[in-house]
Amino acid sequence: MISVRHLKKSFGDLDVLKDINVDIAQKEVVVVIGPSGSGKSTFLRCLNLIESVTDGTVTIDGEELTDKKVDINKLRAEVGMVFQQFNLFPHKTVLENITLPIITVKKWNKQDAEKKAKDLLEKVGLLDKADVYPESLSGGQKQRVAIARALGMEPKVMLFDEPTSALDPEMVGEVLGVMKQLAEEGMTMVVVTHEMGFAREVGDRVIFMDEGYVIEENEPKQLFENPQHERTQSFLSKVL
Amino acid sequence: MDFRFDIITEYFPFFMKGMGLTILMSVVGVLMGCILGFFIALGKMSRTLIVRLPFVWYINFLRGTPLLVQLFLFHFAVLPSIFGETTPVISVMVTLSLNSSAYVAEIFRAGLQSIDKGQAEAAHSLGMNKYQVMRHVLLPQAFKRSIPPLGNEFIVLLKDSSLGAMIAAQELLYWGRAASGQYLRVWEPYLMVALMYLILTLTLTYLLNYLERRLDVK
Repeated sequence: MISVRHLKKSFGDLDVLKDINVDIAQKEVVVVIGPSGSGKSTFLRCLNLIESVTDGTVTIDGEELTDKKVDINKLRAEVGMVFQQFNLFPHKTVLENITLPIITVKKWNKQDAEKKAKDLLEKVGLLDKADVYPESLSGGQKQRVAIARALGMEPKVMLFDEPTSALDPEMVGEVLGVMKQLAEEGMTMVVVTHEMGFAREVGDRVIFMDEGYVIEENEPKQLFENPQHERTQSFLSKVL
Repeated sequence: MDFRFDIITEYFPFFMKGMGLTILMSVVGVLMGCILGFFIALGKMSRTLIVRLPFVWYINFLRGTPLLVQLFLFHFAVLPSIFGETTPVISVMVTLSLNSSAYVAEIFRAGLQSIDKGQAEAAHSLGMNKYQVMRHVLLPQAFKRSIPPLGNEFIVLLKDSSLGAMIAAQELLYWGRAASGQYLRVWEPYLMVALMYLILTLTLTYLLNYLERRLDVK
């Protein structure tokens, strides 16, 4: 489904990603962990080219994103992304946040887009908030709207960039709950997170990154209980 | 000191006419300034140096030289040599439009650049193209943030239109000078002119405050 080959990313002299090779299968939930500065967020942002790629290739469903000739907007529409800071559009209502890309990118008419948006809001449990502006929502509610907005594009893959890191502790559960539900429905997901409980429970595979390399990857149970690499051991001993 | 109300009474119709022209020239200046300013802001934000440079120097020139000098330059040199002739009112309108476009461009640019970059990232991640991101996500937010500084700019522009008197555009201050010249009196005409400018700027301030309140629905 997703195939990353020799991915490199530099910011000036700083090499953030050095040589990343990862394959992600359809319906797989891959959790990326690692210390801050390890390049895990940058890796995720390269998967929909929000961050330009310095070298290497990213292929999603047979289409190479890093090919200069592809219509990047069309490919991005097939890759949903959820951000740490939610990034809802503050001048649009909750419903409009979801319908805007459906109408402008997918070219649906307003009625169909609104029906779709309402279905999604119901799914994330926020149908009663359809007509309010994001500023009146709690962090957890904002993130659930952001997930609904990304789902509105009917993506093949969902990327989550530390989706619960900006939330108050009591709101983490509601967001992880929605993500877990998505995983159970068979969505292909790549999740950068510090929630080790989520990684263990929902993840099919955990990737540990450090200093721009994939150090180790394995099934969650194996990786958490029996880490092979010294750096993985040292990281896990600090966070578990 | 005696105060000759009869001068004011006699010149009142002219002051009203002058005020009309002041309003007209200011409105034209504001509208043209906003339209031009928008494109100049986009030009100045270009990543290509060669595209950006002319816009940078357009703004440098118009903000870095006195408005009165620009007015003389356009009225006596630029416009006559391009079109063969000009009228004072047209010269004032052109100069005000160009001058305010430079300031408005900087206001729009600041507004656009103050929007969190996560907004554009989120919109792009949903598949929206550059134009759609600008049109639906960045501009509405930037425009709202630009309203208070734009209001300031409009008030400055309205007052600056009084420089038109220097090239005999028959706006408010022109008639003040005319009254002063005819009766060799200074207090009555200039106080009256000042009062009328004050009425204009206070009305504009009130309107802008109202607009800000109305648009404060987030």
